[in-house]
Amino acid sequence: MRPRLNLTSGRIDPERPSTLLRTLILSWSKDERSRRVTPRRVVSQLPIQLTGCMLAIALLMIVGLMGLILCQGLGTFWPQPLWELTTSDQGRYLGLVHRREPIPADDHAQGARAQRTLYRIGNRDVYETDFVWINDQHILTQSRPTEAVVVERLEWGPWYGFISDVKTPEGTVSGNREQVWAALLRQRPSARQRTRVIRRIERRIIGDLNDEVEQHRLAIRRLELRGRLDTPTEQRQLQRHQHAIKVLEQRYARIADSLGQQRAQDQAYRVVLTSIDGRQKELPISAIVRIHQPNRLSWCGRVAVYADRLREFVFDPPREANTEGGVAPAVFGTVLMTLLMSVAVVPLGVLGALCLHEYAKQGPLVSGVRIAVNNLAGVPSIVFGVFGLGFFCYLIGGTIDRFVFPERLPTPTFGGGSILWASLTLALMTVPVIIVATEEALAAVPNGLREASLACGASKFQTVWRVVLPAAIPGVLTGTILAMARGAGEVAPLMITGVVKLAPTMPLDHLWPFIHLERKFMHLGFHIYDVGYQSTNIEASKAMVYMTTLLLLGIVVCLNVTAMRIRGQWRQRFHSADV
Amino acid sequence: MKRWGIAWLVALGVGGTAAVSASPIAVDIRLPMYQRVGGMTGNLNSIGSDTLNNLMTFWAEGFATYYPSVKIQIEAKGSSTAPPALIAGTSQLGPMSRPMKPTEIDAFEKKYGYPPTAVAVALDALGVFVNKDNPIQHLSLEQVDSIFSSTRACGGKASLTTWGQLGLEAEWANAPISLYGRNSASGTYGYFKEHALCKGDFKGSVKEQPGSATVIEGVTNDRFAIGYSGMGYKTAGVRLLPLTGLGSTKVYEATADKVYAGTYPLSRYLYIYVNKAPGKPLDPLVAELLRYVLSQEGQSAVVKDGFIPLLKEIEAVEIKKVDDVL
Repeated sequence: MRPRLNLTSGRIDPERPSTLLRTLILSWSKDERSRRVTPRRVVSQLPIQLTGCMLAIALLMIVGLMGLILCQGLGTFWPQPLWELTTSDQGRYLGLVHRREPIPADDHAQGARAQRTLYRIGNRDVYETDFVWINDQHILTQSRPTEAVVVERLEWGPWYGFISDVKTPEGTVSGNREQVWAALLRQRPSARQRTRVIRRIERRIIGDLNDEVEQHRLAIRRLELRGRLDTPTEQRQLQRHQHAIKVLEQRYARIADSLGQQRAQDQAYRVVLTSIDGRQKELPISAIVRIHQPNRLSWCGRVAVYADRLREFVFDPPREANTEGGVAPAVFGTVLMTLLMSVAVVPLGVLGALCLHEYAKQGPLVSGVRIAVNNLAGVPSIVFGVFGLGFFCYLIGGTIDRFVFPERLPTPTFGGGSILWASLTLALMTVPVIIVATEEALAAVPNGLREASLACGASKFQTVWRVVLPAAIPGVLTGTILAMARGAGEVAPLMITGVVKLAPTMPLDHLWPFIHLERKFMHLGFHIYDVGYQSTNIEASKAMVYMTTLLLLGIVVCLNVTAMRIRGQWRQRFHSADV
Repeated sequence: MKRWGIAWLVALGVGGTAAVSASPIAVDIRLPMYQRVGGMTGNLNSIGSDTLNNLMTFWAEGFATYYPSVKIQIEAKGSSTAPPALIAGTSQLGPMSRPMKPTEIDAFEKKYGYPPTAVAVALDALGVFVNKDNPIQHLSLEQVDSIFSSTRACGGKASLTTWGQLGLEAEWANAPISLYGRNSASGTYGYFKEHALCKGDFKGSVKEQPGSATVIEGVTNDRFAIGYSGMGYKTAGVRLLPLTGLGSTKVYEATADKVYAGTYPLSRYLYIYVNKAPGKPLDPLVAELLRYVLSQEGQSAVVKDGFIPLLKEIEAVEIKKVDDVL
């Protein structure tokens, strides 16, 4: 036995080997005799130690992974100070500290312990790059100008600099920085109001109008496809639709006019931004997402900025090719897909398991089926994806398109990837989980219960449906939890059955029939893959990847907790029924 | 306050000489501004190149400000996924980072009876990236081939495996070159194989990455790495190496000027393939999107994504393909 560190005395004691783990386990076991340590006892307790070890390893992995994600993700939105730097090569920079690292040792002139820092200097539209590495020795002066402003913009990422003018139709405010800042803050609410109005016209009014036009167009196309346009009734119908389109288009022109005026009005309110090296950029006030002066923010102000960024992340749609803004459509798509999948997979799996366990005659055939189902769980998910694409999208979807929506061809309606097909594919993938869990649960229902029920005169179906299944429900829910967790985190099969980088419409909206299962959707798991692997500004979007991962984990936890609560209720019901 | 006012004046004065690097590439001002037309609505699907993935998204976002009710869905799994989707009709736009291969064009013609139309929408320069600490100055294409290829079809004599073989000293002399590249579905992979490897084969030791951004990440975190990717993916953690072409001795940097002049050896067009029947106008929605893409607004998104915008001369040729009823 190797000498171990004695925890209580803090020194190495070769006579009494002791580990933290063993101390814990022994104190848990509360068995007075087991505290006497003899070599035989050590051997006999080895299995206990082993279980503890494995648990510790599992915990360590979870804590480590969560810690990494939390550290990298949660800090992202915290407003950091803006540093103004001058360097020995005449450079002037204004930026946030992004990362620090030691300069590798081969750079002998710098000495071994020299550090360098990656600054985020923003202003991507006027500088070539928005990050710059600066060796700490090259920095001559370093300060935190109180008037430095972080301007988060709709396009081109953040601007770090100063505000020099605020231009409105009433006049221009410039000169004194304090006054300009105050003027800009005064203008912000009305700018936000104008944006809201414009967005409402764009999204709701014009969107609905165009949807109506589209319906009439499709109706005309349907008439054409039927091929008999010569009968008077059909002629009348055709004219009616054409007239309706004309009326709608006139209305569209009017709305577009007013939209143009609104936009022009909005463009008249402008702000001029200046960078640390004097380059200027003018943009409409409504193109500003958020402004703050990080170097004079109080602690409360920081929390407010943090909360606002978090709100934007969770509830707003993405901007700038998904590298900024929020992930709301992806959150929605993930939750809806997981729920649809559960709705599809639970009945399928439960009924299958019932047949397999209660009705089917146990024999080589049933054993074969059981083995096949278990093996299905080992099939790579991408194979399910390919199956879903071929079977659901192309075969079933294509057939539906040909017979139900011929007027929309060649643009596929159900014949391409969609949230419905993606959910069904995942349902197929997770069905073994449910079947196995349900079968286990059914096997755990005591036979006496079945016999008692049958003895009372219930039929086989009544017994299964009213007695056995309810008793097995908690087990079924355990299976559902596992299936949902697997489904929500899966990406590979979704990539070919309906997930897209950008889906401009959600599968649920205010237009009839409200739920549009044929639409493609966004998914958090794919979002992580996409932003992490594809974005051109990887340094800036890495934080987004961690936040998205955190959110996905959060959603899986939420879904699981809900299922667990339901399971808890069922369990309670059966305990009280036993009494 | 006053102190900052003075600092500000100084800043304005010094501004011109500041060391913050050059401005990004400007869009050709001779390009037309985009003009909104009435009554655009409908759905577009774009399936294809992942190099063009972000750019397509920028265009879709920009296009949506003109036509709020036009819905564009974007899928990007690699250039090779564009032709099958165009042929099956599941997409109307096929962004590709390489021209279609003859077999792909044949498959399209077999179904429709005419070839697909390729519209060049941006320029890209493929860059060879090294870690920011790497002292190497430039490489020739022969050297690049000898680094990446096992067959050395461009005529390199020996396989280059350590940085010392490229003339680097001290700790670099014995450091093995760590290779990063793209997976084979990517158009970037195909282009690099054809133009930098003279159609030779990649070494087995190339770490194939699923996205361009991960190539850059790999090179950022691995000091002895070298990788290739679109120049748009450049970050502060990597350095884009100037290259010399085959049989030439002049070194060219990957800048817009050199790409326009055609002297940078690894530049290419990025395309959007569309299905246009001869003698018939293009689908109005697709045509409008392409007009937007080729306008000043569309090309400024190209700059935003780090690629090189088209010049008026190129745009004039491409817009013809959109407008003409041939």
